[in-house]
Amino acid sequence: MRHASSTRLIWTLLGLTFAAIAVFLWSLSAGAVHIPIATIINTLFDLDGPKQSFIINKSRLPRSLLAFCTGGSLALSGAIVQALLRNPLASPKIIGINSGAALGVLLTFILAPTLNLNWLPVVAACGGILAAAAIFTVAEIATVSPARLALVGIAIGMTCDAAVDFILATSELYEVSAPLVWMTGSLWNRGWAHLNAVWPLLVGLSAITLLYSYRLDLIRLGTAQATSLGLNVRRERLVLLALATLLAALSVSVVGVLGFVGLMAPHIARQMVGGTHRGLLPVAMLVGAILVVVADAAGRALFAPLEVSAGILTAMFGAPFFVFLLLSNTSEARG
Amino acid sequence: MSIDLKNIQSGYDGFRLKDVSLQIARDSLTVLIGPNGCGKSTLLKTISRELHPRGGRVLLDSKDVTQQRSKLVARQISVLPQHPVVPPGITVEQLVGYGRAPYQNLLGLRSSEDRLRVEDALEIVDLSPLKDKLVSALSGGQRQRAFVAMCIAQDTPYVLFDEPTSFLDIRYQYEVLDLMATLHEQGKTVVAVLHDIAQAARYATDLVVMKDAQVRAVGKPTDIITEDMLSAVYGIDARVYADPVTGTPAVSAL
Ligand SMILES: Nc1ncnc2c1ncn2[C@@H]1O[C@H](COP(=O)(O)OP(=O)(O)O)[C@@H](O)[C@H]1O
Ligand SMILES: [Mg+2]
Repeated sequence: MRHASSTRLIWTLLGLTFAAIAVFLWSLSAGAVHIPIATIINTLFDLDGPKQSFIINKSRLPRSLLAFCTGGSLALSGAIVQALLRNPLASPKIIGINSGAALGVLLTFILAPTLNLNWLPVVAACGGILAAAAIFTVAEIATVSPARLALVGIAIGMTCDAAVDFILATSELYEVSAPLVWMTGSLWNRGWAHLNAVWPLLVGLSAITLLYSYRLDLIRLGTAQATSLGLNVRRERLVLLALATLLAALSVSVVGVLGFVGLMAPHIARQMVGGTHRGLLPVAMLVGAILVVVADAAGRALFAPLEVSAGILTAMFGAPFFVFLLLSNTSEARG
Repeated sequence: MSIDLKNIQSGYDGFRLKDVSLQIARDSLTVLIGPNGCGKSTLLKTISRELHPRGGRVLLDSKDVTQQRSKLVARQISVLPQHPVVPPGITVEQLVGYGRAPYQNLLGLRSSEDRLRVEDALEIVDLSPLKDKLVSALSGGQRQRAFVAMCIAQDTPYVLFDEPTSFLDIRYQYEVLDLMATLHEQGKTVVAVLHDIAQAARYATDLVVMKDAQVRAVGKPTDIITEDMLSAVYGIDARVYADPVTGTPAVSAL
């Protein structure tokens, strides 16, 4: 049966890789201007025949790549947080990333309205990391109990959210419309600069996370078991929290709040290949990447020339699907 | 060889073991009894390094456990916690496989010895036919056996069981107790927290009575289980008689 589950994992990964490639190509073709797949292939591989260099190379390619990287990273971050908190409903949001990033961006807009928009991702990443650090400090990370971390996370996250609401309510709308669009998780106007700023980091962090898959399995058993199995729980938990924080904060810094992916992708992965992180992490990564690429392309294509944020689409279609998943999952666990 | 607790003070804000000293002899089946909240789990958690003592030392075969590499201690002491966490989407075989972690590198690659040990452990607790089932889908008794199998796979001379029989019906209680006795016969030192005094007396070679964060008495069950002890420790008026089946002490409250 070990062979059976390994086989299943390999087939799932293969299937998802093909799906990811297909979805990726589709995302390059979808948008206000439809581009046939043949043209895309010609452009990407510099073949003879009709090409669309400008739209693909300048706009859609970096954007889809960014969607791919951040989707995968958010999914990984979510999987880590769910294992650490032993809570299937946890996501990077619970360690304050989203709220902290949003608050950071809005505060910057208010306090330094002349700041170049290029700084927005940096500000967002810092805001997210600061909020996470505050949560870890208050929750006494060293002796942390998952329940305490979750409660503190919710409290600090809500405080940040309230501050965001306060700023929105008391500001003139035109001042904050740019950060508003950003906050809904949009990839509009993202290009090579954004991609190049984050992809090396995201790829590196993801690779490290994959090396932690067995330790995540053990930590998932609870402090008592993990300790008695020889794990330095305190140290590994700190490293993993740092990984989850950086993965999510860097992603949110360039694509805004794409909250649902981190919650949903690990769940879908768990249903596909079970709960060991050796399979769960890569599958969740691919699922997350596919979700965000699809959401971004669909948001561009469905209502062209208007754009709907990927964040809105993932939540709108993701939420009902997710509830359905949870319900079917519980009945399976009972049976 | 033994586990020696020397003047242990460990616990939480508001609860601290009071200078507990105790020797758990190698090859004993030591059972801890005492009222709820007296510190039995705290004691076991201190031995298993989940809690760090704020005073005193835990010696494992005369070496301080906090001074040794975590993995090496993990090859000596295995633990079934009072409330084991059931991970979602994990099969019985995978769970038992985690017991091999102290012998593996950080990637958890299995050797053929790991596989053999896991198979043996599943065989001993009689869960081989269910090895591909999800742990979350098992009954309470089967689940507890799966966690015991994880301890067996860990292949340690010392095994700590914190209330392994609580929440099980009487048949599964004896199943787990007999499993404990089997491990003891095979040469493991077993330390268990039990609530049923007759069961404790029947299975223990050594009994430890705790109350109010202290060890009150240590000795053979027949010497320890007396009407005076029951009234002093549990505050109950009770009669002690010889169990008609086993001859060990049993208790009836008046
Ligand atoms: N995680 C914890 N945080 C704070 N106090 C705790 C915790 N666990 C147990 N306690 C307290 O420590 C005391 C001893 O608990 P414990 O050792 O679990 O008792 P028991 O003998 O029933 O196993 C109890 O008063 C309990 O309320
Ligand atoms: Mg207890």
